[in-house]
Amino acid sequence: MWCGNDVHCAMYQHNGEEIFVIDGHVHLWDATEENIKHEGGEEFIQCFYDYHTTFTPEDRQWTVDEYRKYGADRMVEDLFGNAAADMAIFQPTYLTDFYEDGFNTTEQNAELAEEHPERFVLNGTFDPRDGEEGLEYLEDLHESYDIPGVKLYTAEWRGESKGWRLDDEEAFEFLEKCSELGIENIHAHKGPTIRPLNRDAFDVADVDDAASSFPELNFVVEHVGLPRLDDFCWIAAQENNVYGGLAVAAPFAQNRPGKFSEIMSELLWWLGEDRILFGSDYALWNPDWLVEEVLEAELTQEHRMEYGVEWDLETKKKVMGENAAELYDIDIEEKRRQFQDDEISREFDLGDHYASEEPAAADD
Amino acid sequence: MTGTEADGSTSALSRTAVRDRLDRVTDPELDRSIVELEYVDRIEIDGDRVDVEFTLPTAWCSPAFAWMMAVDARDEVESLSAVETARITLREHMHEAEINRGVNEDLSFAETFPDADGDVAAVRAELDEKARVARQYDAVETLLEAGLDAEAIVALRPRDLERPEADGDDVAVGATADATEAVAVYVRDRSFAVSVPAEPIERYLEKAHEIDLVSGPDDVLFRTPEGEPIDADSFDLVHQRGRLAQVNMSSQGGICDGLREAREGRLAADD
Repeated sequence: MWCGNDVHCAMYQHNGEEIFVIDGHVHLWDATEENIKHEGGEEFIQCFYDYHTTFTPEDRQWTVDEYRKYGADRMVEDLFGNAAADMAIFQPTYLTDFYEDGFNTTEQNAELAEEHPERFVLNGTFDPRDGEEGLEYLEDLHESYDIPGVKLYTAEWRGESKGWRLDDEEAFEFLEKCSELGIENIHAHKGPTIRPLNRDAFDVADVDDAASSFPELNFVVEHVGLPRLDDFCWIAAQENNVYGGLAVAAPFAQNRPGKFSEIMSELLWWLGEDRILFGSDYALWNPDWLVEEVLEAELTQEHRMEYGVEWDLETKKKVMGENAAELYDIDIEEKRRQFQDDEISREFDLGDHYASEEPAAADD
Repeated sequence: MTGTEADGSTSALSRTAVRDRLDRVTDPELDRSIVELEYVDRIEIDGDRVDVEFTLPTAWCSPAFAWMMAVDARDEVESLSAVETARITLREHMHEAEINRGVNEDLSFAETFPDADGDVAAVRAELDEKARVARQYDAVETLLEAGLDAEAIVALRPRDLERPEADGDDVAVGATADATEAVAVYVRDRSFAVSVPAEPIERYLEKAHEIDLVSGPDDVLFRTPEGEPIDADSFDLVHQRGRLAQVNMSSQGGICDGLREAREGRLAADD
């Protein structure tokens, strides 16, 4: 059921109810050949592209050249043009060993985020292997951008190192710094890895110790730990400050609906509906079709019976936006008022849709 | 499980015999055969020498996993008495050169990847354990369907399982079975037995034996993911964790299938 760019069939409406969508995981990357300095950079983007084509409907797939660099304008249109998403959270991926200027750094993302601060949340990052310098960089990010969260790549290679763990002593220093600066949301990439060699590519257990040691921080495990969904759910069942980010799992809705139903049922069973966050991982997948697919997805009768969980309107509202709003102190009602007349609503003629509860606006 | 191959006892080496051996090699992350997963591209037989080529769903597939499959393939094929040497070639992988050299020169993982931290054994053990937990789910489901309750299931030991043979002798379970066979499960101090399909039970036992979790007839059969006997009160939770382990594996399987298709499409287009 495509809505395309027809905003009157727009996606923020689902069964007559408004669903405020915060895309919890987006990137603005540059994988052009000029920016690649190590063969890993090329392999990385090709790997991403395989993920893209595997889980994107054929008529929505990009060419690899579009995919290497799409730019800010296209990103804004894809996210907000048909109101697929109402807001989005930037999660940086540095990969500076692979890419000359990085793949998508906080600074690069900031250019767009600062243009539309009402629509974007800008997260930073840290790498405990950077030591003192890294702590200073984290403080800089805090001062420059007031980042509310960080995205972490524990499996990133750097020089001789094959990765790090969230429960390392050095990592704890950085988490303490986050706590001190009020950077509350710790997004750990625990999923498909960058240059996985052995153990570091495999483990989600380090989140457990970190989460119980820093109860004041929220740990969002991106990609719900796949291919370690079992370890992730077991940890999350015991640590109530551990959340699951749906990036990678969400697009199963499109071409493996039975699998989506099963994964979602597991997540709802182990974590409950308050600790699951939607994310497209844009531009891996595009919210302009993905949001609709996830909202339209259903749990199979068999899974509903087996797990006793529902993917109903209330659950969708939480997963698609309210849970992220809670973590990021976003007032959804205030945002709706603000979006009646912000630059993006004017650009894409969306003002009416934020104007009232009614699907059609009075002054139309 | 096949288990019916010639075992190299005949001198003529057939491709089927090699395939049957390779069928025993699993993708450790998915607990599914590399033959079934269509990773094997080519089998060439030249006298007592066998060449096997295989490709994985992504060039990024963990080198540790790729290593396990390459080594297991070599060992399985070389276990045929008609085979002197198996040469394994992993294709289209970012570490194919190291892995092919290591596996064909009989190097260890640590020698092959001197900059890797830790050894492959720990990774293998962890994946084996997950495979066991997932297989346990199927075995326990089978028993629940047969009407056994939690208390009876957590108390089971290998000595309680018997496979009736055609000649009338009861044989302890552990050898491979085909899908139609049944196994008798004795409960309540052997006061009665129920008959259940053998396949899920044997698949479980195979893995539990392999990792030495269940070795003697008196060992507790089913365990928590941590390897402990199951308390009847926590039976439901442990069973749910088995379900979760299965969902994890099959989800990753879905990703791998898709990536393999996408990659084959891309490689074909590049040709």
